[in-house]
Amino acid sequence: MNELALERKPSILRELMKNHATASKNVVFIGEGLPHPETIPFSEVSFTLKDGTKKVFTGSELVTAINYLPTQGNPKLVQKLREFMDRFHAPLRWEDRDVIATAGSQDGLSKVIEMSLQKGDAIVVADPVYSGLASNVRPYKAQLISAQYRKNGLDTVEMKDKLTAIWSSRSKDVKIPKILYINPVANNPSGHVISDEQKREIYEIACEFNLLVLEDDPYYFLGFQDELPKSFLSMDTENRVVRFDSFSKIFGGGLRAGWMTGPKEIVRIVEMHMQVSVLHASSLTQAIVLQILEEQGWDGFLDYTKNVKEFYRKRRDQMVALADKYLTGLAEWDVPEGGMFLWVKVKGVSDVLAMVMERGLKKDVMLIPGHAFMSDPTKPCPYIRLSYSLVPMEDVEKAMQRLAELIKEEQAIESQK
Amino acid sequence: MSQSVDYDRFINDLSARRKVSPIRELTKLFTTAPPGTIFLAGGIPNGSTFPFSRMTVELKDGATFKLEGKKIENALQYQPTPGYPPLVEQLQKFQTQVHGLDSTFWQKNSLLVSTGSQDALCKALEMSLSEGDPILVQEPIYPGTSAIIRPLNANMVPIGQDEHGIVPSALRSALSNYGSPEKVSSMKKDVPKLLYLNSTGANPTGATIPAERKKEIYDIACEFNLVILEDDPYYFLHFEEIDPVSFLSMDRDSRVLRFDSFSKILSSGLRVGFVTGPKELVSRIELHTQASTMHTSALSQAIVSSLLDEWGSEKLLQHFKMIQQFYKGKRDCMLASANKHLKGLAEWSVPRAGMFLWIKVPGIADTKKLITEGGIEHGVILVPGKDFLAYDDAQSQYFRASYTVASPEDIDKGFARLANLIKAEIA
Repeated sequence: MNELALERKPSILRELMKNHATASKNVVFIGEGLPHPETIPFSEVSFTLKDGTKKVFTGSELVTAINYLPTQGNPKLVQKLREFMDRFHAPLRWEDRDVIATAGSQDGLSKVIEMSLQKGDAIVVADPVYSGLASNVRPYKAQLISAQYRKNGLDTVEMKDKLTAIWSSRSKDVKIPKILYINPVANNPSGHVISDEQKREIYEIACEFNLLVLEDDPYYFLGFQDELPKSFLSMDTENRVVRFDSFSKIFGGGLRAGWMTGPKEIVRIVEMHMQVSVLHASSLTQAIVLQILEEQGWDGFLDYTKNVKEFYRKRRDQMVALADKYLTGLAEWDVPEGGMFLWVKVKGVSDVLAMVMERGLKKDVMLIPGHAFMSDPTKPCPYIRLSYSLVPMEDVEKAMQRLAELIKEEQAIESQK
Repeated sequence: MSQSVDYDRFINDLSARRKVSPIRELTKLFTTAPPGTIFLAGGIPNGSTFPFSRMTVELKDGATFKLEGKKIENALQYQPTPGYPPLVEQLQKFQTQVHGLDSTFWQKNSLLVSTGSQDALCKALEMSLSEGDPILVQEPIYPGTSAIIRPLNANMVPIGQDEHGIVPSALRSALSNYGSPEKVSSMKKDVPKLLYLNSTGANPTGATIPAERKKEIYDIACEFNLVILEDDPYYFLHFEEIDPVSFLSMDRDSRVLRFDSFSKILSSGLRVGFVTGPKELVSRIELHTQASTMHTSALSQAIVSSLLDEWGSEKLLQHFKMIQQFYKGKRDCMLASANKHLKGLAEWSVPRAGMFLWIKVPGIADTKKLITEGGIEHGVILVPGKDFLAYDDAQSQYFRASYTVASPEDIDKGFARLANLIKAEIA
């Protein structure tokens, strides 16, 4: 933890709210500045699901859905999330861990970064890496120590070699990393899923080099394998994993429904930072998520996620078929093992920046150049990320045709240089 | 006459290093791209996989509105960081109307919807403060804010309040310790650059800064090149005939960051607030938001937006009037109990806005000790004044009582018990 994190103290008024909840009924609290329910204009909020089920929040349930909550979250939801983690990850040493609901999983991630990083610190990542991580660490001028994804998964030899070199370096300029960030299921942008076996290797490396493992797993239920992967959390014997879960890809990113599971001390720091910033994740979002989880039960939830997974798998197949048809010989890719992105390496083009940002726009196709996902975004990069989540397949086909032309034109330009 | 403010002065190194997400930039580009442009650059999930078909909201006045079809899909989908576009537009109109903003205002300033106003305030302080920086704050100060400032190792320079808020001469005097206005205005380090205050119904004193005094304070801010952090969650919870005049409304220089909240007027749990201020500063807050919460809950924003649409300005103003009447009644109830039980033992000013009564107990040196030791035993809990001070080693003779939620019976019981507690201590 950096100095800023160590100096955080609990917010007095938020702690008072906790005390109120557990105090004897005989004590009169006239301290808290809460709005009076009578001034709140809502009388009922209800939602209907596509499967026909309906839930109405009125009375005290509405109060819980509409008013201030403890920072950790709606207490029933927090308990439900603990049970969720038990069901899917069975973490060891529960007494040393805790759970907190966050306004999207990324807010938890951001706060752990802010808890830990100091200017110039190093952090271990897998390349290519989610651009949201970069947004959080670059302001700290962080050095990214990267291991590459290759055909057989993450290059753990490279990871171990780089870490060994850092630890044995005598140079003052070489910072020893304390954190490993990883998006192990359907890595954004490359779509790789790290095997359980490889996870164990990585976990051992984290133990050996004393790294905190930030397991950022919003696509956990969108891996295309039949079995759910084993998480880092599930193998965390040393209590060094901080795991970020999300309902964004399942119930809706707009809800801002995420949660963090980690060592108590770390959850506490994040809680204190949340106490003075967001205060807590939206009460309504939490009430809705709780209701759905209670309604579905674990089996129902799994069935539901399977449908979502099938939706994306089908689209992956369609996009990969189109890539085969139009881009064979022009580009290379690994078939995504989950999630919603195809990570394409353009052949014969060392840097796609101009191709995508200038010539691509003129051809009426918008893609993401891979630079945004590389630990060194200034280096030439031949990758592009394509999303198969939204665009109708007829349009994807058009886009693939345009992309094929774009690449051929670009290869010609490059070969003339 | 307005000056041109150099906003770099107010942005620390870390904030200055925040960069726009290329994906968000491309998404913005797409909105102006020619028709027929195919967008494979997105990173958002497919809304057809979300389980909701409809949300319905009923209001106490009988009005109902639904979110279905495209509206519910939007309410569940990722949004631009500044906010759900219909709501941003509504709020800009709202601000223009309420604060009398002129036609050029939105050229220099912008608005961002935040996850509660406090998230924007937290990000503003994290944007601007560096280790060792002094910051001018009203004292007593809302502990939520001092809890943001302290870990940043910034030094709070407390400015005392009277019943009308911070005292301009105290502010000027504190600033003069750092040098002349010319000197202070031009320095980036070791001088205060921010002034934090509550404009209306300050937490905990209940003070509202009158328009004239605000003008004095604003002039001092211009002289010494300060940015004013106008934290105003109780703006509509006043007990006057007309709405207060805000710092935002007099901001000819664009040096006010104003924090508004729906927490005390519509819903605290939805977590919807908004910040209005100079583009250069709001954009820093936007970038930090992009990397953390990404945006305020779209569902919350869609609900607030639909409610504002449903009601229109007239019903909204009626709602505010209802709240004002309600809290005024609660205030009067607490004042009656205070007069009954605490006369001679304690002193207080009549709050002209907000939720709190700020009670001084002249016969006691430190109310924190009193309530910690005797509170549970006597069966009454209020917040001790020490919690609202800038410095840990200071003592306070004050309590903060809130009249918003407790029943009249509880308030009366509470004050009776407080009186006993005080008498026992003085004896």
